[in-house]
Amino acid sequence: MSNDPCAALAAALPAMFECTPHTDGVRIRTAFMYPDGDYLDLYFIRDQEPPVVSDLGETVRWLRSQTLSPRRSPKQNQLIQDICLTHSVEFYAGRLQARVKDASQLAAAVLRVSQAALRVSDLWFTFRNRSIQSVADEVEDFLNDRGISYRRGERFVGRSGKTWPVDFHVRTSELTSLTCVLSTGSRSAARPIVNQAVATWYDLSHLRIGPEKLQFVSLFDDTSDVWAEEDYALVRDLSHTAFWSSRDRFADLLHGVPIPS
Amino acid sequence: MSITSTEFETIMGDKTKEIRDDLVWQPDEDHSDCVEFTAEIHSDAGWPVYARGTYNPAAPALTYVLIHRGAGRIYGLDLGKDHHNPDCENVGECHKHTWDEAVRDKRAYRPDDITADVRDPVEVWRQFCKEARLRHSGSLQKPPPVQRRLLS
Repeated sequence: MSNDPCAALAAALPAMFECTPHTDGVRIRTAFMYPDGDYLDLYFIRDQEPPVVSDLGETVRWLRSQTLSPRRSPKQNQLIQDICLTHSVEFYAGRLQARVKDASQLAAAVLRVSQAALRVSDLWFTFRNRSIQSVADEVEDFLNDRGISYRRGERFVGRSGKTWPVDFHVRTSELTSLTCVLSTGSRSAARPIVNQAVATWYDLSHLRIGPEKLQFVSLFDDTSDVWAEEDYALVRDLSHTAFWSSRDRFADLLHGVPIPS
Repeated sequence: MSITSTEFETIMGDKTKEIRDDLVWQPDEDHSDCVEFTAEIHSDAGWPVYARGTYNPAAPALTYVLIHRGAGRIYGLDLGKDHHNPDCENVGECHKHTWDEAVRDKRAYRPDDITADVRDPVEVWRQFCKEARLRHSGSLQKPPPVQRRLLS
């Protein structure tokens, strides 16, 4: 491996790729930008054999700085794996990186990691409201995977005349359900969300009557420890309660299989 | 859902914004070198705004942002990476993203009030809160020491 990676880069890439010294090697300022205009920096780490070109986790950190979600969705992780496969890049401990066994491979590795980083950062465009990659999006993926028919985000008129948004209008061969997804990362926001569901179910209660009555489901995102027993009790009389950590049971409920208490 | 420039200015000018908890850096979901925290911001007006910090000591790079639940990031401070504005100006490695209806959070400026080093996240946080008119009643711990990672 050449002792001067910057010379190897300069020979193969335009001057827009700038090299500066870094603790473990060199930092490479690329000409590429994340969706908000921040520049993509890569790092050539040569204190190991073979050296690597890595983003040092900056791309995923950038992505996480745009959202309140504590974790990526399974779909987003799947997309990252697919991006890495396309560009022959490794995703390890949050880092996008590629091994460089020979100086002649350095420029190509920089371009591969750059392109992978840009595509991963573009997952930002898939955030439904940019701040939350919501559990509702995961529910949508789940329903698609199970082949369950649904309409998302429909509005229904309550007895009061007020219109209420419902996350999912789900139809199986057995019955039809309205599902509200209750999700937040904040304990102080939890009760207002439950109150909204209670008001929704109360005002739409006329839809639970008749031979084609609708089933109401309050689906709690219990992957965050924000809910109190009182929260479950508030909606229990007005709807079925289901939990995202037990999504198979949620699917059973949509098919009319009662959830054991 | 977006917000207007006027609403943004109102949020930023609201001196009742407060974080009441102590903040602790936590590992991210990948257990990388990066650490992060998220904090709810209380205010008299009840703005749906949260603060988030992320720190990568390996780069090093540090980011503090205000995230509006509907609009996403509306304000942010970045240290450790340069920024390119829509008018093709390069701002520098210490820059603040601010909100504008036309370009959302894509425009940044070089702040005069951030003088602390990227490797001093606690002092940068203090300076960030001051300019954002954000009162932090608790404390922010220092990030944990970095454990050198084997890359391959």
